[in-house]
Parts: sequence; C-alpha cells; structure tokens
Amino acid sequence: MENRSILQRFIARPEFGPFVLLVLMIVVFQSINPSFLSLQNISNTLAFTVELGLIALAMTLLMTSGEFDLSVGSVFGFSAVLMWTLFNAEVTSLEVAFLAALLVAAFIGFVNGIFVTQLKIPSFLVTLGMLLVVRGTALFITDGFPQRTWNAAGNWLAELLVGDFYIGSFRLYMSLVWFVLAVIVLGYILTQSRIGNWIQASGGNPGAASARGVNVSRVKIGLFMLSSVMAALAGIISSVRTSSANPNSGTGYELEVIAMVVIGGTALMGGRGTIIGTVLGIFILRMMRNGIIMIGVPGLAYNIFIGAIILGMMALHSWLERRHKAGT
Amino acid sequence: MSNTGNQPLIRMADIHKSYGQVQALVGANFHVNEREIVGLLGDNGAGKSTLIKVLSGAVPLTSGDIFIRGKKVELRNTGDAIANGIETIYQDSALVTQLSIARNLFLGREPLKGPAFLNRMDQDAMNDVARDLLKRVGISKNIPPTTPIGSLSGGERQAVAIARAMHFDSDLIILDEPTNNLGVAETQGVLNFVRGARDSGHSCIFIAHNIHHVFQVVDRIVVMRRGKVVADNIDPKTTTVQAVEGVITGMSEHEAEAAAT
Repeated sequence: MENRSILQRFIARPEFGPFVLLVLMIVVFQSINPSFLSLQNISNTLAFTVELGLIALAMTLLMTSGEFDLSVGSVFGFSAVLMWTLFNAEVTSLEVAFLAALLVAAFIGFVNGIFVTQLKIPSFLVTLGMLLVVRGTALFITDGFPQRTWNAAGNWLAELLVGDFYIGSFRLYMSLVWFVLAVIVLGYILTQSRIGNWIQASGGNPGAASARGVNVSRVKIGLFMLSSVMAALAGIISSVRTSSANPNSGTGYELEVIAMVVIGGTALMGGRGTIIGTVLGIFILRMMRNGIIMIGVPGLAYNIFIGAIILGMMALHSWLERRHKAGT
Repeated sequence: MSNTGNQPLIRMADIHKSYGQVQALVGANFHVNEREIVGLLGDNGAGKSTLIKVLSGAVPLTSGDIFIRGKKVELRNTGDAIANGIETIYQDSALVTQLSIARNLFLGREPLKGPAFLNRMDQDAMNDVARDLLKRVGISKNIPPTTPIGSLSGGERQAVAIARAMHFDSDLIILDEPTNNLGVAETQGVLNFVRGARDSGHSCIFIAHNIHHVFQVVDRIVVMRRGKVVADNIDPKTTTVQAVEGVITGMSEHEAEAAAT
C-alpha cells in the first residue's frame, strides 16, 4: 500500500475524476470561445455560483452523514420572502428581519431532523413534504407576488452580504468571501474535527457509531439545521444581489445542489464526503451552464449535459471504488 | 468500583431466553471472576451465542439476573453494556468501513488538541497509538493507521476491534470467534493480546471453535449444552482436549476416552 506512487494516490482520490473533467471543460470552452476565461465572464459566473455553492457545501456534510435535504430550494425562496416581508411591512429593522429569517430556517431544519431521526422516516419523504410546506407558505404570505427589495440600498448588512469590490478591473461580490470562508470552515470540520469523524461514522455505519457513544441523532439534526440556514443565507444573498425576492425562486435548486455534491465524489448514501470535490462539482455545473451558451449550444440543451455528467461521474466513481476495493 | 474479595466480576443467574417457541437458554448460570479468561465452549445451538448476546445487551433476556461486582444491572442495549465496561467483539465487528483504522479506534473518544472550541482531533497522537496497537495485536504487515477499514482483511479488522477494546480498558472483553479467518501470526498476536489483557487486569470470555486455541490461553473452561451450563470449572491444565470434547458432545468421560482411543 505504501509503495503506491504519489500519482497513483492522486488518481485514487475521489476528487480526481471531477478535477479532470473541470480542466477538460475549461480547455474545450476556451478553445472554442476565447472570451470564456475573460475577467468579465469569470466575475459573472462567480456571483451566481457561490450562492448555490453555499447550499452545496452544507449539503455535503449532511449527505456524508447519510441524509439529504430536498427542501433547500424552498427555504432559499422562502427566507428571502420572509425577510423582505417583515422589513417592508415595517415590523422590524432589516437586521432583525435577517436574523428572524435565519432562525425560522434553523427551525425548519430542526423539524426535518426530528422527523428523520426520531420518527425514523426516510429523509427523502420528510424533506419532500417540507419542500411543499415551505414553498406553499412562501406563496401564501406573498399572494404569489415578488417582494420589494430596492430600499435596501446602502444598508450595511446588504453591503456586507453582497457588496461588490474591485481587484483591479475584476469585480467581486462579498458573497465570494463568505463562500471561501464556508469552504475553509466546513472543510476543516469534515476532515480535522472530532465532529467530522462523527459525521462520517453516522453515515458509514450508524449502528457502530452509536455503539461507540456518538449521538447520531444529534449530529444529523444539527446538519439538517446547517443545511437550512445555509439555504436561507444563500436565498437572502441572492435576493439582495438581484433586487428581487420572488416566492418561486430556488425551485429545482435542491436537485442541482445534490448533483453538485455527488459529482464531486460524496456518496449519496453517506460515509464518504469531500468538500474539495463539492467545490469542483459546483464549478463543473455552473461552468457547463455558462460555457455551453458561450459556445453557441442552445441553453435549453443544458440539462442533457448535466444528466450525462452525473451518469458519467457515477460510473467513474463506482469503477474507482471497485478498483480500490480490489486492492490495487 | 472496588474489588470486594471473592465477588465475581460478572454473574449471570438463572438466565432464560426464548425466541417464541424456541428455548435458547433454560436457566443458565455463569460467572467470570476478576482477571480471568474464561473459555466458553459448546456445540452449535448449545446457547453460547445467545448467552453472549444477552450479556452484551444485543438481545433482552426473558428472565434472570445479571450482576456486575455484586450489583444488579439492566443491559437493555449495547450502549448499556459498554457503559458497564463490557465490550463485545463480534466476527463482523462494529467498525465503520469508510473510516481509517485510527479514526475507528478512537471513534466517540477522539483526543483533542488546541483550544476546545476548535474541536480539533489530535490525529498525530491517534495515528501513533494506532500504529503501536497494531503491532501489539500482531499485524506484522506494515499497515499505515490511515488505511480505511474497508481495505483490510477480516482478520485485520478483528485485530483492530480487539485493539480498541484493549486500549479503552474495558473490564470484560467478549471475544466471539476472534481467531476465525486469522493467519498464524495474527492468531498468535491475538492470543498474546488476550494473555496480556489478563495481566493488565481485564477479564475475557473467549469463544472459539478451535479448542486448541482455547486451551492455550484460558484459565477456566465452561461448557454449555442445550441452553444450560453443564460444566463450569474445567481446568485446562489438568484436563485433556478429548475429555472436554466429551463434555461438549454429552458423552461421559469414560465414553469419550474410549472414543479417543
């Protein structure tokens, strides 16, 4: 085992497949349309990428613990709507409304976690139900209309979340800073911390984990809360950036986020997760969306490519897994 | 946790266990003293594994009492048993295959370093202890402690589980077929580890089909037949393997000797 070369080790890592794919995509898109790697295009891609990315990072931990959350897309839309409704109705200040939205999101995650861990209902069903409840609530409190957001201009919180700044002529959003921070913190938690060990054990062999005194339920409830809060944060950031809080926004994001996570090499059934892989997965999907339009493929064909990438990546991961198990 | 004279570490009294119509245990009495290695023998279906499952909290008993150092205990689940210092190592041991050896060894009790709020595992210390323990259980191959359990052989996994029980100072370690599927060196390592466990104050229950392995390490042999303990004080130093086989199969000692010749 030790005489394997560094190259072989690198190839055996779950992040290897997505890494090669990402490089390949960049090369292909760049050679067809040289403006693909222009600063302007990178800046635009990054702005939207990190919003979905925040959810994908939290989902990586949740999926490593053996669960997943289909309600994140609804929470994404709902939280922004809740915050702006509270603010526009002059119930409270923007800061308090922001905190309230995050707290409500945490509560949604808590309920998901309780249903999954205490009532032993599969997370697929629990979060599917929650998806409908949350989306329905968002539509109900707004009568289906978008909420006004433009009077947030200049507010320090809005600036802190999505204010833009320039490095030379390169425009960056503050949300990128939050994303990088989340990558570092969650990557650290998963690989270095004791909680990370519990998360992996909870997904890999919950029976063994609880026999060793790990509180599997608490780990999972905490991660459901994290994933909801991150979805809320992403939704609020997105609403400020686009100046619209639409009760329908975030529809379908849950599947895109799960796709990002599994493409990156995290196991759907838990036990194995990689934050670096998820970062690669995030960029693969977002660059694909951006790239196929830039090279002139009709945008409607996007899903064909995404589906093909998921299938291809899953085949690659399972092949690598079997090869690894065979002891080569 | 005082050692009060002749009080046995574990005493199981009049244990009954039935699965529906099937009576697996019918009034079994069993005890393990402090610092004692007990070999539990019996034919298939004699009730050994049921007795062990009751003691490790894996199945509830129908009636009967369990005492630890004279104190009555309820073992409702495996967590209760572990909290009472009873560690069971099954053939297919409770390890997380995706995690590394070191991470499995310390699962739930990971050492931390640095400020507490960082919750940072001391992975160097974990790997050092793991490397050392692996050598002591006789894994002669140089396996790095960061290897995931999934790529170990069955015997190596067994050794890791044993190493874990040893390291965390359980009072009683139950080894269910610990030498199955093990190579010669690994088997010797496990047997040495069991002897070492007694010297460092642990008790063990040792279940193995290979009666010769049992004879090599145990202080006392207990034989079960048809849900009962039929002999609980056989001294392996003064008894022959053939005689014990006779007790297991239910033949009298005389018949057993005749069969052996």
